[in-house]
Amino acid sequence: MNLAIFIVIIAALTLSAILLLSVKQTLQNRQSVNLTGSIHPIDVEAFRNLTNPAEDEYLRRCLTPAQFRRVRRERLLALVAYVHLVAENAGVLVAVGESALAGGDARLADPARALVNDALLLRRNATMAMARIYIALAWPNSGFAAARVADRYEQLSGTAMLLGRLQNPAVPVRLSAMR
Amino acid sequence: MLHSHSLLWHYLWLAPDILQVALAVLLYRRGFYKAYPVFFAYLIYEAIETFTLYAVDVLPWTTAESYWRIFWVTLIIGGLVKFAVIGELLRHLTYSRSALAKAGDLTFACAGVGLTLLAVLVAAYTTPHNPHWLVAGALLLLQATYVVQCGLILFVFLLAAYFRLSWDRATFGIALGFSIVFCQHLASRAVEVSFALPENGIVFDLLNMATYHVCVLIWCYYLLVPRKKPAISAQPLPENNLAVWNRELERLLQK
Repeated sequence: MNLAIFIVIIAALTLSAILLLSVKQTLQNRQSVNLTGSIHPIDVEAFRNLTNPAEDEYLRRCLTPAQFRRVRRERLLALVAYVHLVAENAGVLVAVGESALAGGDARLADPARALVNDALLLRRNATMAMARIYIALAWPNSGFAAARVADRYEQLSGTAMLLGRLQNPAVPVRLSAMR
Repeated sequence: MLHSHSLLWHYLWLAPDILQVALAVLLYRRGFYKAYPVFFAYLIYEAIETFTLYAVDVLPWTTAESYWRIFWVTLIIGGLVKFAVIGELLRHLTYSRSALAKAGDLTFACAGVGLTLLAVLVAAYTTPHNPHWLVAGALLLLQATYVVQCGLILFVFLLAAYFRLSWDRATFGIALGFSIVFCQHLASRAVEVSFALPENGIVFDLLNMATYHVCVLIWCYYLLVPRKKPAISAQPLPENNLAVWNRELERLLQK
């Protein structure tokens, strides 16, 4: 295929992607009323268990290398699912914080800004953690630390709690499911 | 005059930049240049560039070679200014979000380097049809510049979408206008550099100018028409148990 025709197709696809993203963003802003309803509860304990290096070490001692690689891959796949949910929740909280900032209430400005920054940091870390998990899936014997994601998530939950209390003191906030 | 032009040509060549000058004056009165100094400088520069090229084109004593030499200079300066505008748009998105500022700048720089290498590769594989190096080189450079600019503006939109950042109206309007111009001009220049077009590609020239006209109108809308104030509504909170969460956090911290 001629390179020029290929470039034309790429340019058309790029513009289509940009316009789609713009429309999606506009629709999301209009539907920002019930964002917190789309937060997925996450079991922090189960998440910490999956990232605990002591657990990995115990499994490495108890299982054969082939069994360990299989079990580790399964744990890593479960971890990907958790981290993906964490990233999704962080994205929702960014939108909640941005919405609170746009509302113009001076009382909410600082906690909303803190929530947005914490959520952005968490989403960024979750993205990096997912990249490292996929690398670890290719090399199951390598170690990595996704524990920072758990720590950031807890910190983010605290900030969300504060914003939630300022917006509506009567209703408590929780971002994780408890057994 | 290098070539005689139709009335439509003259209109499409001058009208967007006359509109742009009017836009710049109105924005100056509103103090807009303080928040977007680079974009404001671009508005002024682009108008000067267009009027200069127009004058060179219509004046009877100018040659095609002098036109293309001046075109080369404006191409380089204009390209650099547009890159600076894209950087300004990114800064407006990430400035107030400290968590993203550094990472955003780093990934933007990496994207820029990658796109530049891609543009060089594309240019290396492009066979220009025009034998004159002034013309062929200018079109190749335009194609390469638009490859990078398209990629960078797409990067900005992807960054905003992935992190669910909300755009302010002015930043979004400027970015949207540039997106349309960059993508359309990339497609157009890719065809112009590779194919011998009938009537010296007048259709593509008119298309380029018309697209830029639309872009300026988009900027006028987003920069001059005030945003409708959204109704302030309280966000409903999830039905959850704060006390249990605090207890679990304390337990985790004691481990």
